Amino acid sequence: MASKESAVAAAKAMAKAESKPETRTKKATSGNGDYTADSIKVLGGMEAVRKRPAMYIGSTGDLGLHHLVYEVVDNSVDEALAGHADQIDCTIHIDNSITVVDNGRGIPVEPMDIDGEKVPAAQVVMTTLHAGGKFDSSTYKVSGGLHGVGVSCVNALSHQFDLEIWRDGAVWEQSYSKGEPTTKLKKTGSTKKRGTSVHFLPDREIFTVAQYNFDTLSNRLRELAFLNKGLLITLTDERNADSKTGEPKRAEFKYTGGIAEFIKHLNRGKQVLHDKPIYMEAERSSVAMEIALQYNDGYSETVFSFANNINTIDGGSHLSGFRTSLTRTINYAGQQLGLFKDVKEALTGDDVREGLVAVISVKLSQPQFEGQTKGKLNSDIAGVVQAFVNERLGAFFEQNQTVARKIINKAIDAARAREAARKARDLTRRKGALDGGGLPGKLSDCSERDPSRCELFLVEGESAGGTAKQGRDRRFQAILPLKGKILNVEKARYDKMLGHEEIRAMITALGCGIGKEDFNPAKLRYGKVILMTDADVDGSHIRTLLLTFFFRHMQELIKRGHVFIAQPPLYSIKKGKSLQYIKDDREFVKVMVKRASEGIVVRYGEGAAKLEGAELAKFMTTLNEYLGFFEKVDKRLRDAKATDLLPHVGLATRADFEGDKKNPSKKIEKLEKQLKALAKDQGYKSVATAYDDEHNLWQVIVVDSQGAERKINWSLVGSPEYRQMMSKYKQIETYMEPPFVIQSIPKGAAADSNGDEAQSDAEREEREKTAKKAPKAAAAKKKAAPEEVVEKASARELFEYVLNEGKKDFTVQRYKGLGEMTSEQLWDTTMQPEKRSLLEVKLEDIAECEAIFTTLMGEDVEARRKFIEENALDVKNLDI
Amino acid sequence: MAKKRTRSLRCPICRTIVLRSEPDFPFCSGRCRTIDLGKWASGGYVVSTPINDPEAYEDAQRQADELRRKTSDGEDSGRD
Repeated sequence: MASKESAVAAAKAMAKAESKPETRTKKATSGNGDYTADSIKVLGGMEAVRKRPAMYIGSTGDLGLHHLVYEVVDNSVDEALAGHADQIDCTIHIDNSITVVDNGRGIPVEPMDIDGEKVPAAQVVMTTLHAGGKFDSSTYKVSGGLHGVGVSCVNALSHQFDLEIWRDGAVWEQSYSKGEPTTKLKKTGSTKKRGTSVHFLPDREIFTVAQYNFDTLSNRLRELAFLNKGLLITLTDERNADSKTGEPKRAEFKYTGGIAEFIKHLNRGKQVLHDKPIYMEAERSSVAMEIALQYNDGYSETVFSFANNINTIDGGSHLSGFRTSLTRTINYAGQQLGLFKDVKEALTGDDVREGLVAVISVKLSQPQFEGQTKGKLNSDIAGVVQAFVNERLGAFFEQNQTVARKIINKAIDAARAREAARKARDLTRRKGALDGGGLPGKLSDCSERDPSRCELFLVEGESAGGTAKQGRDRRFQAILPLKGKILNVEKARYDKMLGHEEIRAMITALGCGIGKEDFNPAKLRYGKVILMTDADVDGSHIRTLLLTFFFRHMQELIKRGHVFIAQPPLYSIKKGKSLQYIKDDREFVKVMVKRASEGIVVRYGEGAAKLEGAELAKFMTTLNEYLGFFEKVDKRLRDAKATDLLPHVGLATRADFEGDKKNPSKKIEKLEKQLKALAKDQGYKSVATAYDDEHNLWQVIVVDSQGAERKINWSLVGSPEYRQMMSKYKQIETYMEPPFVIQSIPKGAAADSNGDEAQSDAEREEREKTAKKAPKAAAAKKKAAPEEVVEKASARELFEYVLNEGKKDFTVQRYKGLGEMTSEQLWDTTMQPEKRSLLEVKLEDIAECEAIFTTLMGEDVEARRKFIEENALDVKNLDI
Repeated sequence: MAKKRTRSLRCPICRTIVLRSEPDFPFCSGRCRTIDLGKWASGGYVVSTPINDPEAYEDAQRQADELRRKTSDGEDSGRD
């Protein structure tokens, strides 16, 4: 324990420093003229501990109770630090008394001459505050001890205190109670052991608690074992026996890796950035320094600093020296490695400490602490530590560039996150109160105050915003124009984004805040948020941006059904004074083929079967859908003639590609035959069936005129677009027999009696008027036209012809943007609640949108370009 | 298109798989949420559209030139 070779001398020195304190027995010093005042002081020293225990051990609660053990153990650790002990055994007995045994040199027992009286050195150590070898730096260069008050405090606060010393072949024993010896130090026998044992029972009069906590003790003992590598510390709890073996609960701590193992312990169960902790150790200017660090993939910092084994929870000069150097070294290494090309500012201390786990342990003589809890090291060693870390960590980074890169990149990520957080805050920061209630200047708000009745239109573009503003019902409809910013028109593409101001304006206008904590649906200023963008690719991209933003940062808005998409018309068709709006291509085709089929008859196939009226219109509509999927399939095969064959042959299931290894299926053979028939016209270099061992399936491989290999296999036929194409094909299979002969019907007005649903009321009125004015005029006109007969060789040509027939009588306008409509048109078609149709945005739709968005936003520009090109036709279906 | 349905949702920032029940969905954490918001705030998200119409192309070019002239106030012209 605070055993020390020169404990005697040290105790003396201390005694002198404390104005010649005496031993504790008044009687013993009687006769000395100076004794009274001095002895009072000594007595006061021991009594003071009992009177104000908290001053010495922190508290009389849990903390102080455990503190007693640490004081005793620290003395043993000092013996280990000096190289004389390598094992400390701690035992909690059933009465919550503690025994601490070390295998050090044993406390000196020789008598000391304290002002004329011979007192054994061990007794001086046990009964005098601040007595012990640790105060003489020649004995212990460095020493722990929490307050330096030593084991005498423990003695003073123990109801029972037993000391046993094994030294020079002899055993010595002495007992105390409340700091007073109850026996003299006696030699009781002989031994081959060395060391000291202290057993103590904390005084219940002093402590408000009595129970020792195994985990509390084991944590500190483990820490000590980490801090003193190679030292074995055991903890045995006799209060808890294993029910099976009857053995008491026990823990052993010994770490040959020292604090590097401490780091591993702290990082257990975490994903680390580099396998081995970075470890450095040296003694400079009489300061022994040991530092270990390792990064994990987390974001918090875990740093323990110790000075002479004391956990300096408030840090101090050793920690600040380490931190300064860490920041500096990482910045320097990052520069050397050229990792800061995209980084504007230097990495800060916070950046480099994300995910850091570090232990800093310094050992020095005469450490200076600060504060009531002594949790902060004050000794002036920041410079020493900093220089040491600069040198060693710098060298480590140079030699281990892979690790250095990982660490530096993590810090760069942290810096980016910090920057992002700053920008994000800026986005939601409230503007000054003088700023017109804080609403964005571009917002044209409505007059209604009840949010549930209000609608906010997010309109793409300033000009469309202006139109919408004129067309709206200002009582309940608000308009916020959003401008997608064009960044780059090189390489013939728009790069569009929503600027900072646009997003900010949107957030402010909505009023409900963003994110998780800040979102408050009660503050939403509009019951409906309506996205109104152009019906083109560009508009759909702006819409994708907006929806993605809502999905990520205002998800509740979508969940609660507040987000809608306006459906402005894509076409207007005009005939005379009648005007009809059509919302998309699908509807457009439907209207056109219906109109056309009223005026023509189609004969198909060898037998020249007749197809007309509604049946023809239905065929055309389905044919249009079929052709859409056909295009997609053909995009894979890149040979329209060959694609055309597939449904005819009837390839549909996996079984169609099966067969034994020698003979392909009938359908494959048929396809091969038909392709061979095409070979001459198409300039195929070869057509052959082949067996695919990987899947055990047959395929047909065509080498086209360009030498490219086209494979017709299950991978193509199994694709969703092929399946959809086939399902449409089945519906129209009977009619798919070229050639198609088209005849126009002379009696044109027949359509009227059929009751054309697609035809607007206005149009019908218009017709009726015309009919009244000039009876049979329309019919007459048709009759006058020469009867046409046209023959088409393919279904596609037939479709195109019919579509054009439908368009003939109309003036078709395709709206490229909202801006092409007048404000009245926009109101009538898109904004007027009774007439418009809105699409409600559902979370499921958005999740899909998110996937598209990710592709669109991808770093890989080439993949993005390809994606857009391939999906350009169906952007509409894709993003909502 | 069937591919998309089977694709699980990943955190837009760090790409870890995120379940719908998680509090920060579609993000894995508040930190990634903040980073994403920062990206929006600094114009980090850009969609590209190929320009097929030569007329529109000229139009865009003119707009871009105008923009370039005005970029002195480049508050949000940055791109992450």
